[in-house]
Amino acid sequence: MLQYGQKSFLIVDDFTDFRTATRSMLRELGATQVDTADSGEQALRMCAQKRYDFILQDFHLGDGKKNGQQVLEDLILDKQISHECVFVMVTAESSQSIVLCALEHEPDAYITKPFNRMGLAQRLEKLVQRKTLLKPILQALDRGRPAEVLAACTDICKQDPRFAPLCLRYRADALRDLGRFDELEKYLGAILASRPQPWVYAAMGKLLHKRGRNVQAQGIYEQALKAFPIMPNLYDGMADVLIAQGDSQRAQNILEEAVRLSPLSVKRQATLGKLAYENEDFDSAAKAFRHAVNQGQSSRYKDPESNLGLAQALMSRSSGGLDARTRVEINNALGEVAKDYPEDQGLQVRARMMKASSLVQAGDAESAGKLTEQAMQRLGKMNQFFSVDSALTVAAQMKAMGQGAAAKSVLKACVESYGDDPKVMERVGQLTEDPDVLNAVADAVDLNRQGVRAYQAGHLELALSMFRRALALQAKNISIALNTAQALLRVAGEKLTPEVIQECRDCLGSVAGIPASDSRYDRYRKLHIRVFGA
Amino acid sequence: MNQNDQGLDFSTVIASTVHDMKNSLSALIQAHHQWLERLPEELRSGSEPGVVEHELSHLNGMLVQLLGLYKLGVNQLPVCPDYHELDDFLEAQLAAHEEVIRHRDIVATCRLDTMAPLAFFDRELVASVVSNMLTNAIRHADKALLLSIEESGNELVICINDDGPGYPQRLIEQQLDYVPGIDQSSGSTGLGLYFAARIAALHEQGGQRGRIEIANGGELGGGLFRLYLP
Repeated sequence: MLQYGQKSFLIVDDFTDFRTATRSMLRELGATQVDTADSGEQALRMCAQKRYDFILQDFHLGDGKKNGQQVLEDLILDKQISHECVFVMVTAESSQSIVLCALEHEPDAYITKPFNRMGLAQRLEKLVQRKTLLKPILQALDRGRPAEVLAACTDICKQDPRFAPLCLRYRADALRDLGRFDELEKYLGAILASRPQPWVYAAMGKLLHKRGRNVQAQGIYEQALKAFPIMPNLYDGMADVLIAQGDSQRAQNILEEAVRLSPLSVKRQATLGKLAYENEDFDSAAKAFRHAVNQGQSSRYKDPESNLGLAQALMSRSSGGLDARTRVEINNALGEVAKDYPEDQGLQVRARMMKASSLVQAGDAESAGKLTEQAMQRLGKMNQFFSVDSALTVAAQMKAMGQGAAAKSVLKACVESYGDDPKVMERVGQLTEDPDVLNAVADAVDLNRQGVRAYQAGHLELALSMFRRALALQAKNISIALNTAQALLRVAGEKLTPEVIQECRDCLGSVAGIPASDSRYDRYRKLHIRVFGA
Repeated sequence: MNQNDQGLDFSTVIASTVHDMKNSLSALIQAHHQWLERLPEELRSGSEPGVVEHELSHLNGMLVQLLGLYKLGVNQLPVCPDYHELDDFLEAQLAAHEEVIRHRDIVATCRLDTMAPLAFFDRELVASVVSNMLTNAIRHADKALLLSIEESGNELVICINDDGPGYPQRLIEQQLDYVPGIDQSSGSTGLGLYFAARIAALHEQGGQRGRIEIANGGELGGGLFRLYLP
């Protein structure tokens, strides 16, 4: 029998009887430190205070509350739990675990209610044995060192090749984290050819998608869905590759199937909302955003974009005025954004303009005017850039409210930051014919293009001078600023003088308003870390 | 699921009712255990607690099976296979039935006749089959049962053997084309075997499917149930 006396336990369940019964089972096994929590939220607070060796987590903790899987994800992403901790998910019926079994973060084991003391003791003892066997891998994971994880996997497989299957997933994740994609692809391919599992399909699909091979990725997901038709996250992957190929209608259908299987995913509902809106299926968009907003209350993936999306979908759905119920729903959704993000001026402006538009639609032009005034004042205080979508929406709303000048300034700022992308220019062109806006960046974009060509041909000095001239014309263009910084660093090589660093910092500083949702945000962050050290 | 549907789909009604019944049963089993622990020793050892234990676990097994059959029917019972440690799997199955085995004074043994520590299968599904067959074996066993795993060619064989009177000859003869129905003389539905065969067949590897086999004999001389996994 193991020594449980020195170990700490946490039982998370919303039923008092279950907590008491499980606690007495653990006491009989010799455990002395047993804490309990009646909700996921409480469990998270307790884990922030204390490191537990064992967590027994009930999956379903009541409607509108965090479920066990969300608690596990929060614990892992916030690094409140060691990989050496034994995390057991308690489910009411065995099929609940199936829906979860291809997810990124899995518990160490599932145990189905009802269970007895012997059953619990046997499970825990085995899990401790397995964790002991895998200890070098788990410790390397805690340190965040994928190279050490790989080495530990190799050691364990050498000691006893029969246990190699236990290392499969750790090895795949480590290869991914190290960016060894060719090797990973071969490795996953070999597993798929022998004993395919849902996580292997998901990993392969994601890898191919990331490498831009969407047609192949689609093939993988098609196979996967045939073999495992009820894993919702395989549908998510399929939708991603369909979106990448521009097939937003099929992507929407696929996500609708996933939502039928598992409606409890904030991110999935939000993505579905966006897709349905693009496809002009406003009823479905409203429904999906509504789910995303409601479930977002208890989730780390709560996102004000869903509230704004819900309001917009509800407005687009009604061709004429808005009925009372819809008005209340729009009010609530937007009120929440205004209340929850007081410091984010961009969101404040967007929420007010959205509300103003809904008031116009409902026939209350006077209140709409007042809100537009407020939005105007906030606009001046913004230090973030709008994303392209937000800028275009806000500009259109301002124009409709008779604020032509403000609309023009929003569009011009949008062109300044994003105007190197012809698709953006096309969309701006649908809102205005003003040459002041449309030609704002033409010269700079042209210089930037020449710079990119020179850079790719290896003429780094020439490229740098092009980028510098472009940046002088248009300091707020994200692409130009990042290109200039990158060229500066590349030309300087090892000799990073204070002058070079200062120039890089200026480049990045001028586009510090880049929204985190921008596809270049990662690149911005990496450059930022190099020249600011954080 | 669809609230616009006018008609009442009876199998959905059963499925959701079974779900609630399972929750009630869990609470009942828990309360029973806690109650037993507070009883004085002499009251704990009578035969009634054993009967209650056995029937509770039998009920639970049947509900799990009923949900499983419903899901097979609507094509929502897919396999989610993974690598599992065999000794862990066997011990867990016996541990789940520990109280009943103790109350009925049966000597239950588990044995691993294979060198491979891991095998590839859906743990929950196979466990529900093994659990039903164990309940069955415990009911019919005289005083011993054996749960073992062996290898046969490239198949893994999970065996449950008891020292009871064995399966009726009719079941053994008809096992290849067995259709569940109610046998008026024994009251057995044979649904358990049907469920087991379906679960076995869900496991496939290189064109080969899992299957079940029943016989009489084995080391203990009674009923012998075998589940073959490719």
